[in-house]
Amino acid sequence: METNYSEISKKIQEISRKLLEEGRVDRVIGFERGEFTGEMTPVLVTDPEEAENLLFNPECEMMLAKYLLDYGGSTTGIVAKPCDTRAITVYLAEELIKRDEIVIIGINDCQGLEENEACDECGVRNPVVADEEIGQPRQEPVETDIKDDLKDMSLGERFAYFQEEFSRCIRCYACREACFVCSCEECFVDSNQPQWVGFSVGLRDNFTFHLMRAMHMAGRCINCGACELACPEAINMRALTRNLYRVAQEVYEFEPGLDPEEKTLFATYRLNDSEQGFLD
Amino acid sequence: MLKVLAKSELGQFLDKLKQEFRVVAPVRRQYGKKERVEYHPVENSEEIILDSQPDTPPKKFFLPQNERLGDELEGETDLEEGEKETLIFGVRSCDLKAVEILKPVFLDDDFTDTYFQKKLEKTVMFGLGCSSRQENCFCDSLEINPLEGKNVPVNMYDDGEKIWFAVRDKELEKFFADLPDGDAEELEEKKGKWQEEFEKTAITLDLPLPFPELKTFEAPFWHKVSANCLGCGVCTYYCPTCFCFGFFWEKHPEGIDRWRTWDSCMFPLFTKHGGGHNPRETQKQRTRQRIMHKFSYHPQNFDGVPACSGCGRCISQCPVNIDLRVILRTVEKYLKEEEGVKSSG
Repeated sequence: METNYSEISKKIQEISRKLLEEGRVDRVIGFERGEFTGEMTPVLVTDPEEAENLLFNPECEMMLAKYLLDYGGSTTGIVAKPCDTRAITVYLAEELIKRDEIVIIGINDCQGLEENEACDECGVRNPVVADEEIGQPRQEPVETDIKDDLKDMSLGERFAYFQEEFSRCIRCYACREACFVCSCEECFVDSNQPQWVGFSVGLRDNFTFHLMRAMHMAGRCINCGACELACPEAINMRALTRNLYRVAQEVYEFEPGLDPEEKTLFATYRLNDSEQGFLD
Repeated sequence: MLKVLAKSELGQFLDKLKQEFRVVAPVRRQYGKKERVEYHPVENSEEIILDSQPDTPPKKFFLPQNERLGDELEGETDLEEGEKETLIFGVRSCDLKAVEILKPVFLDDDFTDTYFQKKLEKTVMFGLGCSSRQENCFCDSLEINPLEGKNVPVNMYDDGEKIWFAVRDKELEKFFADLPDGDAEELEEKKGKWQEEFEKTAITLDLPLPFPELKTFEAPFWHKVSANCLGCGVCTYYCPTCFCFGFFWEKHPEGIDRWRTWDSCMFPLFTKHGGGHNPRETQKQRTRQRIMHKFSYHPQNFDGVPACSGCGRCISQCPVNIDLRVILRTVEKYLKEEEGVKSSG
């Protein structure tokens, strides 16, 4: 059955208006269409009258979960694709947000986004957690495969590949800012005592940034693709994080963001854990 | 002098220029899945793209992202002797204006930035009049003429088949001597048509410049317009006029190098003090700073000229599609309403 996006948008508008009018939330985070660009952009709605601007379609590529971190201590409604609900689940597991401070407007039967290749690798098509649901949940599972480019590359090939990719990095940190996992109060990049990464933009420091960032991703990254979508230089940094995602899945049978009760990968330890390491 | 060149003969023409200059032009590059147009030294004339705005501005030729300023103990480095002048071929009005905006900042009488100055002195730019509006550009809303680059020795036009050269510099005429003359009326007719297209798609901005500092600073809309900002540095790094930089030093066996590198007011570290306090702690404050610098502080200091040339790259490259034009409209509306309240009260 064809997904009716105007119907989904209408439901989002109705629910958001009601939540705001009844005072159940202080704000709703969703998407609207830019006045001049015509492109979808995240928007914060506080006035019930403005709820009619909220829209949803396959162009709504940004992850909204991270905005929740700005509003602790008040209530926020959020329009959530299944990947957003996974991010929310990771936040709940890491106790970064409170469940009773958010109202999740989850979208069922996600068809994926137009521009995001990560969607082809995603099997989670219904919200993991939701307060309001839009549409019918998809029943039949989606066959997916993590397209891990690194799997069959030798170490030398990997190095050459990343040299090529990271040489373009201008260190604007759009990947970091778009990534919901990158929620540290102070990123290692912004620390100057000690200074972990040099300020210069060149292979040495670009490598340091991307590899250190990747090290923080294992067992937390949900392979949503937000980093690559945000990157203005089209750097395939997901080659790193996707590899970690696959390793966590295969070696530890762990997929982040599916159960808020489950401890994160690094918060658990079993005596029989495999010691297979990073990029093995 | 008005000359025309068939686009098929561009390669031969550039070969002539290359004898004297290092020729840089917008060329197409494939990065993974993304196609980009960027200023690069030209290897093959067929890769030159004149009908699409380059994704990055030419700022890097005067203010590179990383620049070695010399040895800390031995002092500045000079440009290498005998280095050819750089010719940037096909710079649009927005990017030309951006260089004009940077000039008074770096070439102030009291303090001249010699690194910037030397690079600028070694650069010639050929302007390129726009024949169509680019993705999100709005230079014409900021009193910039998209068809007529200022302060350039040559202004070019690309009509799809031919390149027109309006040569204004006697010394450069030798490069154009062999080319057939262009019909000034024909060109004017074409320009008239392009101009019409621009007028049809123009966005009117009625900005009081400089923005009144305190009133705008304390306005209530800043949280709303910055709420979706991620806090990355894309807008500043792609901006042709953002010039903020930081210094750093690197030790190596032979000495200590002094470098400067682009910095961005979007980053918390930009203003974080040694003692730990940060006067711009929130993204709202940082977004406000960027807009206020461009439309209040810069025009206050430099004859009312805003530090924005309307190229639209911050809009096109923003990962969450934040639109500077929408923010400017918000400021404009707010200030008008405030003015109305004041005069009616």
